[in-house]
Amino acid sequence: MKNQLKILFGLFILLSVNFLTGCYEHFPLDQDLTRTQNTFLNQDSVKVQFPKIIKDKITVLAMVYTHCPDICPMTTHNMFLVEEKLTDDLKDKVKFVVISFDPNRDSPAVLKKFAEIRDLSFKSWTLLSGDEQNTTEVMLKFGIKAIPADSSYDENGELSYNVIHTDRISLIDQEGKLRSNYKGSTANIDVILEDIKYLGK
Amino acid sequence: MNILLALLLIFSNPSDKLKIVDPWMRVGAQGQATGLFFKIENNSDKADTLYKVEFEPAGMVQIHETYDAGDDMMGMREVGQIVILAKSTFELKPGAHHVMLMKLKQDIKKGFVGNVTLHFKKAGKILIKAEAKEMMKKQSMEHKH
Repeated sequence: MKNQLKILFGLFILLSVNFLTGCYEHFPLDQDLTRTQNTFLNQDSVKVQFPKIIKDKITVLAMVYTHCPDICPMTTHNMFLVEEKLTDDLKDKVKFVVISFDPNRDSPAVLKKFAEIRDLSFKSWTLLSGDEQNTTEVMLKFGIKAIPADSSYDENGELSYNVIHTDRISLIDQEGKLRSNYKGSTANIDVILEDIKYLGK
Repeated sequence: MNILLALLLIFSNPSDKLKIVDPWMRVGAQGQATGLFFKIENNSDKADTLYKVEFEPAGMVQIHETYDAGDDMMGMREVGQIVILAKSTFELKPGAHHVMLMKLKQDIKKGFVGNVTLHFKKAGKILIKAEAKEMMKKQSMEHKH
Protein backbone atom coordinates (compact mmCIF):
# COMPACT_ATOMS: atom_id res chain seq x y z
CA MET A 1 0.00 0.00 0.00
CA LYS A 2 2.83 2.32 0.97
CA ASN A 3 4.55 1.63 -2.35
CA GLN A 4 1.35 2.36 -4.28
CA LEU A 5 1.02 5.72 -2.48
CA LYS A 6 4.63 6.54 -3.29
CA ILE A 7 4.04 5.75 -6.98
CA LEU A 8 0.86 7.88 -7.04
CA PHE A 9 2.68 10.78 -5.32
CA GLY A 10 5.55 10.48 -7.79
CA LEU A 11 3.14 10.53 -10.71
CA PHE A 12 1.40 13.61 -9.27
CA ILE A 13 4.73 15.45 -8.97
CA LEU A 14 5.72 14.45 -12.49
CA LEU A 15 2.40 15.65 -13.98
CA SER A 16 2.57 18.94 -12.06
CA VAL A 17 6.08 19.68 -13.25
CA ASN A 18 5.12 18.75 -16.80
CA PHE A 19 2.07 21.06 -16.66
CA LEU A 20 4.01 24.00 -15.27
CA THR A 21 6.95 23.71 -17.68
CA GLY A 22 4.50 23.18 -20.55
CA CYS A 23 3.09 26.69 -20.01
CA TYR A 24 6.52 28.18 -20.39
CA GLU A 25 7.57 25.91 -23.21
CA HIS A 26 4.83 27.32 -25.43
CA PHE A 27 6.80 30.55 -25.74
CA PRO A 28 10.49 30.96 -26.50
CA LEU A 29 10.90 33.99 -24.21
CA ASP A 30 10.10 34.90 -20.61
CA GLN A 31 11.67 38.34 -20.18
CA ASP A 32 10.21 40.60 -17.51
CA LEU A 33 9.83 44.11 -18.93
CA THR A 34 8.33 45.67 -15.78
CA ARG A 35 11.54 46.08 -13.77
CA THR A 36 12.06 49.54 -15.24
CA GLN A 37 9.63 52.04 -16.70
CA ASN A 38 10.30 54.40 -19.61
CA THR A 39 8.65 57.72 -20.26
CA PHE A 40 7.08 58.51 -23.62
CA LEU A 41 4.55 60.86 -25.15
CA ASN A 42 1.57 59.17 -26.75
CA GLN A 43 -0.06 60.34 -30.01
CA ASP A 44 -1.94 63.04 -28.03
CA SER A 45 1.28 64.28 -26.40
CA VAL A 46 0.22 62.84 -23.04
CA LYS A 47 3.13 61.63 -20.90
CA VAL A 48 2.87 57.88 -20.25
CA GLN A 49 4.98 55.18 -18.67
CA PHE A 50 5.83 52.07 -20.63
CA PRO A 51 5.17 49.20 -19.88
CA LYS A 52 2.80 50.51 -17.19
CA ILE A 53 0.26 51.49 -19.89
CA ILE A 54 -0.08 47.88 -21.04
CA LYS A 55 -0.65 46.42 -17.56
CA ASP A 56 -3.00 43.43 -17.57
CA LYS A 57 -3.24 43.47 -21.38
CA ILE A 58 -1.86 41.14 -24.01
CA THR A 59 0.23 43.47 -26.17
CA VAL A 60 1.33 43.31 -29.77
CA LEU A 61 4.21 45.75 -30.22
CA ALA A 62 6.48 47.00 -32.99
CA MET A 63 9.19 49.65 -33.24
CA VAL A 64 9.00 51.56 -36.53
CA TYR A 65 9.71 54.90 -38.21
CA THR A 66 7.05 56.73 -40.19
CA HIS A 67 9.34 57.78 -43.05
CA CYS A 68 9.74 54.12 -43.97
CA PRO A 69 7.74 53.52 -47.16
CA ASP A 70 7.84 49.74 -47.14
CA ILE A 71 8.78 47.52 -44.20
CA CYS A 72 7.26 49.53 -41.33
CA PRO A 73 3.87 50.03 -43.05
CA MET A 74 3.83 46.27 -43.81
CA THR A 75 4.57 45.52 -40.15
CA THR A 76 1.88 47.93 -38.95
CA HIS A 77 -0.56 46.47 -41.44
CA ASN A 78 0.16 42.95 -40.16
CA MET A 79 -0.65 44.15 -36.64
CA PHE A 80 -3.87 45.63 -38.03
CA LEU A 81 -4.70 42.25 -39.61
CA VAL A 82 -4.13 40.57 -36.24
CA GLU A 83 -6.59 43.01 -34.64
CA GLU A 84 -9.10 42.47 -37.42
CA LYS A 85 -9.03 38.69 -36.92
CA LEU A 86 -9.29 38.70 -33.11
CA THR A 87 -12.28 36.82 -31.80
CA ASP A 88 -14.83 38.88 -29.84
CA ASP A 89 -13.76 37.43 -26.47
CA LEU A 90 -10.20 38.69 -27.04
CA LYS A 91 -10.84 42.13 -28.52
CA ASP A 92 -10.79 43.98 -25.16
CA LYS A 93 -7.85 41.98 -23.86
CA VAL A 94 -5.36 42.98 -26.56
CA LYS A 95 -3.52 46.27 -27.03
CA PHE A 96 -1.39 47.39 -29.97
CA VAL A 97 1.64 49.59 -29.35
CA VAL A 98 3.91 51.25 -31.88
CA ILE A 99 7.10 52.94 -30.65
CA SER A 100 9.22 55.09 -32.96
CA PHE A 101 12.97 54.53 -33.07
CA ASP A 102 13.26 57.79 -35.02
CA PRO A 103 11.81 60.24 -32.47
CA ASN A 104 13.58 63.26 -34.00
CA ARG A 105 11.21 63.05 -36.96
CA ASP A 106 8.35 61.12 -35.34
CA SER A 107 6.70 63.61 -33.00
CA PRO A 108 3.37 62.63 -31.38
CA ALA A 109 1.54 64.61 -34.10
CA VAL A 110 3.41 62.75 -36.87
CA LEU A 111 2.63 59.40 -35.25
CA LYS A 112 -1.03 60.41 -34.93
CA LYS A 113 -1.23 61.16 -38.67
CA PHE A 114 0.52 57.86 -39.44
CA ALA A 115 -2.20 56.05 -37.47
CA GLU A 116 -5.17 58.08 -38.70
CA ILE A 117 -4.40 57.58 -42.39
CA ARG A 118 -4.40 53.83 -41.72
CA ASP A 119 -7.67 53.89 -39.75
CA LEU A 120 -6.02 52.60 -36.58
CA SER A 121 -8.33 53.04 -33.59
CA PHE A 122 -6.82 54.80 -30.57
CA LYS A 123 -9.15 52.69 -28.42
CA SER A 124 -6.77 49.78 -28.94
CA TRP A 125 -3.67 51.45 -30.46
CA THR A 126 -1.09 53.65 -28.76
CA LEU A 127 1.81 55.25 -30.60
CA LEU A 128 4.78 56.44 -28.57
CA SER A 129 7.54 58.95 -29.12
CA GLY A 130 10.31 59.45 -26.58
CA ASP A 131 13.62 61.12 -26.03
CA GLU A 132 16.88 59.42 -27.03
CA GLN A 133 17.51 57.94 -23.58
CA ASN A 134 14.10 56.27 -23.22
CA THR A 135 13.98 55.18 -26.86
CA THR A 136 17.41 53.57 -26.65
CA GLU A 137 16.54 51.78 -23.41
CA VAL A 138 13.38 50.30 -24.92
CA MET A 139 15.26 49.31 -28.07
CA LEU A 140 17.72 47.42 -25.88
CA LYS A 141 14.88 45.68 -24.03
CA PHE A 142 13.41 44.46 -27.30
CA GLY A 143 16.73 43.86 -29.07
CA ILE A 144 15.90 46.37 -31.79
CA LYS A 145 18.68 47.85 -33.91
CA ALA A 146 18.22 50.93 -36.08
CA ILE A 147 21.07 52.39 -38.10
CA PRO A 148 20.59 55.56 -40.18
CA ALA A 149 21.72 54.98 -43.78
CA ASP A 150 21.33 56.05 -47.40
CA SER A 151 20.82 59.77 -46.87
CA SER A 152 20.16 62.42 -49.51
CA TYR A 153 19.29 66.10 -49.70
CA ASP A 154 16.21 67.38 -51.52
CA GLU A 155 16.08 70.51 -53.70
CA ASN A 156 15.53 72.65 -50.58
CA GLY A 157 18.64 71.25 -48.95
CA GLU A 158 16.68 69.21 -46.41
CA LEU A 159 18.19 65.93 -45.31
CA SER A 160 16.32 62.67 -45.88
CA TYR A 161 17.56 59.38 -44.56
CA ASN A 162 16.50 55.79 -44.43
CA VAL A 163 17.08 53.48 -41.51
CA ILE A 164 18.30 49.90 -41.62
CA HIS A 165 16.36 48.33 -38.79
CA THR A 166 15.19 45.16 -37.11
CA ASP A 167 11.99 43.88 -38.68
CA ARG A 168 9.99 42.63 -35.71
CA ILE A 169 6.64 42.27 -33.97
CA SER A 170 6.75 41.32 -30.28
CA LEU A 171 4.16 39.71 -28.05
CA ILE A 172 3.95 40.69 -24.37
CA ASP A 173 1.77 38.88 -21.83
CA GLN A 174 -0.56 40.33 -19.20
CA GLU A 175 2.24 40.33 -16.62
CA GLY A 176 4.49 42.47 -18.78
CA LYS A 177 6.70 39.62 -19.92
CA LEU A 178 8.08 39.53 -23.46
CA ARG A 179 7.03 36.08 -24.71
CA SER A 180 7.72 35.93 -28.42
CA ASN A 181 9.19 37.81 -31.39
CA TYR A 182 8.04 37.44 -34.99
CA LYS A 183 9.30 38.80 -38.30
CA GLY A 184 7.29 42.04 -38.67
CA SER A 185 6.76 42.67 -42.38
CA THR A 186 6.23 39.03 -43.29
CA ALA A 187 4.58 37.85 -40.08
CA ASN A 188 2.36 34.80 -40.13
CA ILE A 189 -0.84 36.33 -38.75
CA ASP A 190 -2.29 32.96 -37.74
CA VAL A 191 0.72 32.11 -35.56
CA ILE A 192 0.40 35.42 -33.68
CA LEU A 193 -3.34 34.87 -33.28
CA GLU A 194 -2.76 31.37 -31.88
CA ASP A 195 -0.26 32.75 -29.35
CA ILE A 196 -2.66 35.52 -28.31
CA LYS A 197 -5.39 32.92 -27.89
CA TYR A 198 -3.04 30.86 -25.71
CA LEU A 199 -2.35 33.87 -23.46
CA GLY A 200 -6.03 34.78 -23.35
CA LYS A 201 -7.17 31.38 -22.06
CA MET B 1 -4.90 48.39 -96.41
CA ASN B 2 -1.65 46.54 -95.87
CA ILE B 3 0.28 49.80 -96.27
CA LEU B 4 -1.93 51.47 -93.68
CA LEU B 5 -1.36 48.60 -91.26
CA ALA B 6 2.39 48.78 -91.81
CA LEU B 7 2.36 52.54 -91.19
CA LEU B 8 0.34 52.03 -88.02
CA LEU B 9 2.89 49.52 -86.80
CA ILE B 10 5.82 51.81 -87.62
CA PHE B 11 4.34 54.87 -85.94
CA SER B 12 2.63 53.14 -83.08
CA ASN B 13 3.56 54.29 -79.60
CA PRO B 14 6.59 52.31 -78.41
CA SER B 15 4.92 52.07 -75.02
CA ASP B 16 2.44 49.63 -76.59
CA LYS B 17 5.20 47.11 -76.15
CA LEU B 18 5.75 48.15 -72.55
CA LYS B 19 2.72 47.66 -70.36
CA ILE B 20 2.23 48.90 -66.82
CA VAL B 21 -0.02 46.53 -64.91
CA ASP B 22 -1.79 46.88 -61.52
CA PRO B 23 -0.32 50.20 -60.38
CA TRP B 24 -1.11 51.20 -56.79
CA MET B 25 0.39 53.27 -54.03
CA ARG B 26 0.26 52.79 -50.30
CA VAL B 27 -1.56 55.40 -48.24
CA GLY B 28 0.69 58.01 -46.65
CA ALA B 29 0.35 61.14 -44.55
CA GLN B 30 1.50 64.63 -45.52
CA GLY B 31 5.20 65.11 -44.74
CA GLN B 32 5.83 61.35 -44.61
CA ALA B 33 6.85 58.82 -47.26
CA THR B 34 5.12 56.00 -49.05
CA GLY B 35 5.65 53.45 -51.82
CA LEU B 36 4.39 53.05 -55.38
CA PHE B 37 4.14 49.58 -56.91
CA PHE B 38 3.34 48.11 -60.35
CA LYS B 39 4.36 45.45 -62.83
CA ILE B 40 6.24 46.32 -66.02
CA GLU B 41 5.59 43.94 -68.90
CA ASN B 42 8.17 44.28 -71.62
CA ASN B 43 6.73 42.56 -74.69
CA SER B 44 9.38 43.88 -77.05
CA ASP B 45 12.55 42.07 -78.03
CA LYS B 46 14.76 44.75 -76.49
CA ALA B 47 15.48 45.56 -72.86
CA ASP B 48 14.27 48.89 -71.51
CA THR B 49 15.17 50.89 -68.43
CA LEU B 50 13.00 52.76 -65.95
CA TYR B 51 15.18 55.64 -64.78
CA LYS B 52 12.90 58.35 -63.46
CA VAL B 53 9.45 58.70 -61.91
CA GLU B 54 7.46 61.89 -61.39
CA PHE B 55 4.60 62.34 -58.96
CA GLU B 56 3.60 65.92 -58.28
CA PRO B 57 2.35 65.46 -54.68
CA ALA B 58 5.77 64.15 -53.63
CA GLY B 59 8.66 66.49 -52.87
CA MET B 60 11.17 63.82 -53.81
CA VAL B 61 10.84 60.55 -55.78
CA GLN B 62 13.43 57.77 -55.90
CA ILE B 63 13.60 54.24 -57.22
CA HIS B 64 14.44 51.95 -54.30
CA GLU B 65 14.87 48.40 -53.27
CA THR B 66 14.22 46.84 -49.88
CA TYR B 67 16.85 44.31 -48.93
CA ASP B 68 17.62 41.82 -46.20
CA ALA B 69 20.48 43.33 -44.18
CA GLY B 70 20.99 40.17 -42.10
CA ASP B 71 20.51 39.67 -38.36
CA ASP B 72 16.71 40.13 -38.73
CA MET B 73 17.28 43.61 -40.14
CA MET B 74 15.85 45.14 -43.29
CA GLY B 75 17.24 48.08 -45.24
CA MET B 76 16.39 50.23 -48.20
CA ARG B 77 18.63 51.76 -50.81
CA GLU B 78 18.27 53.86 -53.91
CA VAL B 79 18.93 51.88 -57.09
CA GLY B 80 18.61 54.70 -59.63
CA GLN B 81 17.17 52.55 -62.39
CA ILE B 82 15.53 49.25 -63.16
CA VAL B 83 16.30 47.24 -66.29
CA ILE B 84 13.41 45.26 -67.72
CA LEU B 85 14.80 42.52 -69.92
CA ALA B 86 13.25 41.75 -73.32
CA LYS B 87 10.10 39.59 -73.19
CA SER B 88 9.98 39.72 -69.41
CA THR B 89 8.01 41.19 -66.53
CA PHE B 90 9.51 43.08 -63.61
CA GLU B 91 7.38 43.56 -60.51
CA LEU B 92 7.80 46.41 -58.07
CA LYS B 93 6.18 45.10 -54.89
CA PRO B 94 6.17 45.44 -51.10
CA GLY B 95 9.38 44.14 -49.58
CA ALA B 96 11.28 44.44 -52.86
CA HIS B 97 11.81 47.12 -55.52
CA HIS B 98 9.47 50.08 -55.23
CA VAL B 99 9.21 53.75 -56.07
CA MET B 100 9.68 55.78 -52.91
CA LEU B 101 7.45 58.86 -52.74
CA MET B 102 9.00 61.14 -50.14
CA LYS B 103 8.09 64.42 -48.47
CA LEU B 104 4.43 64.10 -49.42
CA LYS B 105 2.81 67.50 -49.91
CA GLN B 106 -0.64 66.14 -49.08
CA ASP B 107 -2.31 63.17 -47.43
CA ILE B 108 -2.60 60.19 -49.75
CA LYS B 109 -5.78 58.62 -48.45
CA LYS B 110 -7.46 55.37 -49.41
CA GLY B 111 -9.16 55.79 -52.78
CA PHE B 112 -6.97 58.71 -53.91
CA VAL B 113 -5.97 58.30 -57.55
CA GLY B 114 -2.64 59.86 -58.48
CA ASN B 115 -1.15 60.68 -61.88
CA VAL B 116 2.34 59.27 -62.22
CA THR B 117 4.82 59.74 -65.07
CA LEU B 118 7.27 56.92 -65.69
CA HIS B 119 10.36 57.63 -67.80
CA PHE B 120 11.88 54.79 -69.82
CA LYS B 121 15.02 55.03 -71.95
CA LYS B 122 13.35 53.46 -75.00
CA ALA B 123 9.60 53.72 -74.46
CA GLY B 124 9.85 57.32 -73.28
CA LYS B 125 7.20 58.79 -70.99
CA ILE B 126 4.33 56.61 -69.87
CA LEU B 127 1.52 58.18 -67.87
CA ILE B 128 -0.31 55.97 -65.39
CA LYS B 129 -2.93 56.37 -62.69
CA ALA B 130 -2.34 54.66 -59.36
CA GLU B 131 -4.93 54.22 -56.63
CA ALA B 132 -4.03 54.49 -52.95
CA LYS B 133 -4.63 51.44 -50.76
CA GLU B 134 -3.23 50.26 -47.46
CA MET B 135 -2.09 46.99 -49.01
CA MET B 136 -2.56 45.13 -52.23
CA LYS B 137 -5.60 42.89 -51.79
CA LYS B 138 -3.71 39.68 -52.33
CA GLN B 139 -0.46 40.80 -50.80
CA SER B 140 2.08 38.05 -50.78
CA MET B 141 3.41 37.67 -47.28
CA GLU B 142 6.49 36.00 -48.65
CA HIS B 143 9.53 38.19 -48.75
CA LYS B 144 11.15 37.52 -52.07
CA HIS B 145 13.18 39.76 -54.26
